[in-house]
Amino acid sequence: MPLRQDPGDLLQGTLGILILKSLLLGAAHGFAIARWIEETTADVLTIEEGSLYPALRRLEDRGWVTSEWGLSENNRRARFYTITAAGRRHLRNEATVWLRYSQAVTRVLRAAPAIA
Amino acid sequence: MTELPRWRRYLRFARPNVTADVDDELAFHIEMRIQRNIELGMPEDEARRDAAKRFGDVSLVRDALVDHDKRKQSAAGRREFMADFIQDLRFGLRSLRRAPGFALAAILTLALGIGANAAIFSVVDAILLRPLPFERPSDLVSIGSGSGGEFVALRERLRSFSQIAAYVGQTHPIDDGQEALRVEGAAITTNLLRTLGVSPMLGRDFTEEEGRLGDNGVLLLGYGLWQRQFGSSPDVIGKRVLVEGLPHTVVGVMPADFHFPNKDAQYWQPYTFNPANVGLTWAVGGKRFIGRLAPGVVLSQAQREVRDVWPTLRRLNPLWDPGPEYRREVRTTRLQDDLVGTTGRLLWILFGCVLLVLLIGCVNVANLLLARATARERELSVRAALGGGRGRLIRQLVTESLLLSTLGSLLGIVLAYVSVKWLVAVMPAGVPRAHEIVVNGTVLGFTALVAVATGILFGTIPAVRATNFGTTSVVGFGRRITAGLSHHRVSGFLVAGEMALAVLLVIGATLLVRSFSALRQVEPGFQTTHVIAARVSPPGGSYEDRARVHSLYTAILDRLSATPGVRSVAAVDKLPIAQTIWGIAARVEGQFEDAKRPLPEINHWQMVTPRYFETMGIPVRGRPFAESDRADQLPVTIVSEGVARKFWPRGDAVGKRIGYPYDSPWLTIVGVVPDTKQDSLRDTTSLSMYVPWQQGTRMSGSEMWVLARSSSEPGALATTMRRIVREVDRSAAVSDVRTMDAVLSSSVQKARFTMLLVAAFALAALLLGAVGIYGVMSYLVGQRMQEMGIRIALGAPRAGVVRLVVGRAAMLAAAGAAVGLLAAFFATRSLASLLYGVSATDPLTFFLVPVVFLIVAVLASAAPALRATRVDPVRALRAD
Repeated sequence: MPLRQDPGDLLQGTLGILILKSLLLGAAHGFAIARWIEETTADVLTIEEGSLYPALRRLEDRGWVTSEWGLSENNRRARFYTITAAGRRHLRNEATVWLRYSQAVTRVLRAAPAIA
Repeated sequence: MTELPRWRRYLRFARPNVTADVDDELAFHIEMRIQRNIELGMPEDEARRDAAKRFGDVSLVRDALVDHDKRKQSAAGRREFMADFIQDLRFGLRSLRRAPGFALAAILTLALGIGANAAIFSVVDAILLRPLPFERPSDLVSIGSGSGGEFVALRERLRSFSQIAAYVGQTHPIDDGQEALRVEGAAITTNLLRTLGVSPMLGRDFTEEEGRLGDNGVLLLGYGLWQRQFGSSPDVIGKRVLVEGLPHTVVGVMPADFHFPNKDAQYWQPYTFNPANVGLTWAVGGKRFIGRLAPGVVLSQAQREVRDVWPTLRRLNPLWDPGPEYRREVRTTRLQDDLVGTTGRLLWILFGCVLLVLLIGCVNVANLLLARATARERELSVRAALGGGRGRLIRQLVTESLLLSTLGSLLGIVLAYVSVKWLVAVMPAGVPRAHEIVVNGTVLGFTALVAVATGILFGTIPAVRATNFGTTSVVGFGRRITAGLSHHRVSGFLVAGEMALAVLLVIGATLLVRSFSALRQVEPGFQTTHVIAARVSPPGGSYEDRARVHSLYTAILDRLSATPGVRSVAAVDKLPIAQTIWGIAARVEGQFEDAKRPLPEINHWQMVTPRYFETMGIPVRGRPFAESDRADQLPVTIVSEGVARKFWPRGDAVGKRIGYPYDSPWLTIVGVVPDTKQDSLRDTTSLSMYVPWQQGTRMSGSEMWVLARSSSEPGALATTMRRIVREVDRSAAVSDVRTMDAVLSSSVQKARFTMLLVAAFALAALLLGAVGIYGVMSYLVGQRMQEMGIRIALGAPRAGVVRLVVGRAAMLAAAGAAVGLLAAFFATRSLASLLYGVSATDPLTFFLVPVVFLIVAVLASAAPALRATRVDPVRALRAD
């Protein structure tokens, strides 16, 4: 699928992880996902909200999320995304890799001599 | 039923609108953000700006999503379509297996119809549709035919053609040193192969010089002759063979697929003409001219030029004035049309007939399906109730029909393979390109097309009808007492249509049968029984001297007449019915004497030995020819009654004189014979003249037919005749040894072939029509059992019930027959050129055929009607 990959300030593929993680709480529409990322990262990671939707399509194509039309909290027609079992597995693997990677980088950065 | 959940899905997924959904989703996001911003205390316009900024480029995202979702949807659609198709197919196979009788009847009907179509189509394709195997065949044009002098004059004048060539079919004995064979071939101008755009497979084409007299002792061999007589040896080039007793050098061998001008042509020699011999150059026609259109010239331009130029050649004829009508009606056509000739019309007629049979078959299958759909009404209404959309149900039913037609056409192709072999075997001689008839890719493609078309044709109406549930019947499990009247109207309509088609076909066939029997009853004017003929072709080279020709035939005839059982023998240069007997223009003493003025035409001119009339059983008024009518005696002739009537309507023709169109002594008429059929049994011309063989013109060849009348069955004489000729001169070829009865019957071979095929199709149509009526009436009676029961219970006489059923059948047949009659009235005109002795709108045929159909309809409905009278009222009412 030739969806434009526009990661904004995020590393490639990271947006997908964030989305999947947000969906662990339950089905959510795009705006709710954006809000969750915003609040959880305390605005440290800013995403261009438009890029959320191509990312969701990619996750759906891979079978990690499914979507269904439903009613939002204010009774509007909205598309809700749900994480699949495969999505959970993928998230687990990615999270392990990510944590190991960031710990390694952290250890390198903390090693003597101090940076500043 | 495991597939139920799938049916339901279709109710939910009424193909979502992708663009609207994407717009909805994105709009929802942005509006939520604006709302949130306002809740956080922003003024509305700032809230909007902020929302847009956070989102980024909306249209970019939107396009990407729409694009993505559309691809995904169509991929899913395709997958779903295939899955449904396979499911329908499986389901169809299962339901056919549940009704094997129905399936067998439908598949056999379709196999017959489609097989017959594929077979006839392969003939149509080979002869009419496939381009000729020459270079750019559509540029090749047949210009007509005429003499060598006309050819040279035309070649100098016509500008529409880049090449003009001529050919004339001929048959000469070819002697390879071991055996003299009579082989068909053609004399061709040296540019003919270049005009066609073909070249020899082995060796070379003729050169320009080889078209000149004296340089023309060269020969091209056909592939078949090369294989049979020369063992496919490449050494054949340069070999010397005798053609007509004259030595020729083989310069090339043509490829296997080269058959020109017909499939039997096996050798080609250069066509030469001697300008010094004015008589031969201008008086002997029959050369056929072909041309290749010059670049940028279209056929109509060429036709116009030929029409303008050719009549101007009238003044060039050094021998006589051919008259003001000279070459006004030249037929300039595509070469393909010319080679195909009248066979084209015949084939289209056959193709039309076979299509009619297929249509009738389709109607029958449609009726079967209708009846079956009624039986499946419950199954279908359950499905509909469970969420099967009507379109989906129709698709399912049409898939089943396609399955039927595909199975039918697979069987049909097998039938076509077999019947094409048979068709080619029984094909009358002289059908052009018959050797090219095969079941090939084009034919298979056509069959596939027919299969799909028929499947949709006979499947759609029943499918649409079957799924047209009334509101009650969806859940109404109880059987209705008077089953859907409209149902009957549809099948009644179908059967009436079927009857119309069948009446049309049977009328056509009856006309052909009547025409054929009229043709067989034609009296040729001579007695054929106990007469046998053999064509003797002495090698022309060694028989240039007339005296040698005479002594050859005298020796043959003397020995033959000495054979026990032979009563009379004769020879003639052209055998009636077996070949065209050319005529001449003639001077008539005291009436048409000036050869520079238009002269009357004598239709046929023959050269005969004295006992020809006796052998053929033709009575002569006056005297027959005698051995004393030699070249040095008074020139004499015998004419037919037609000639006598035309020029001497009062008084006797005997003693009067006629003459050749050029300066020559008058011929005195010594006898008059009845008009006989000459070219064919359909011959309507009556002007014939005969001359004694010793007084024949110098133009006559040395080939003659030897005839013998015996006192018993003449077939036994065949070997004797061959032996005698061989004993007299080993180099003379004997061919076409046949009894005159056989000659007559093979002359109507084409008519017989057409008649047999059309009659077979018509019989099939009649049978299918009868089956159709029977089926519909049985179905109607079955459906209305309860009604019949009630009628009988209420005291209706059983005869009334019979009248009801039979009356309806007769009404359907009558309606169909009326339409068929009307159609036949117009359609049979296309048969007119094939008919003999019967009009295309023959009243007897047009009356009898519908009557036969009414009788058939009544008989076919009798069994169901009787069944209806035996209905037990009580049981009928209790049923269900």
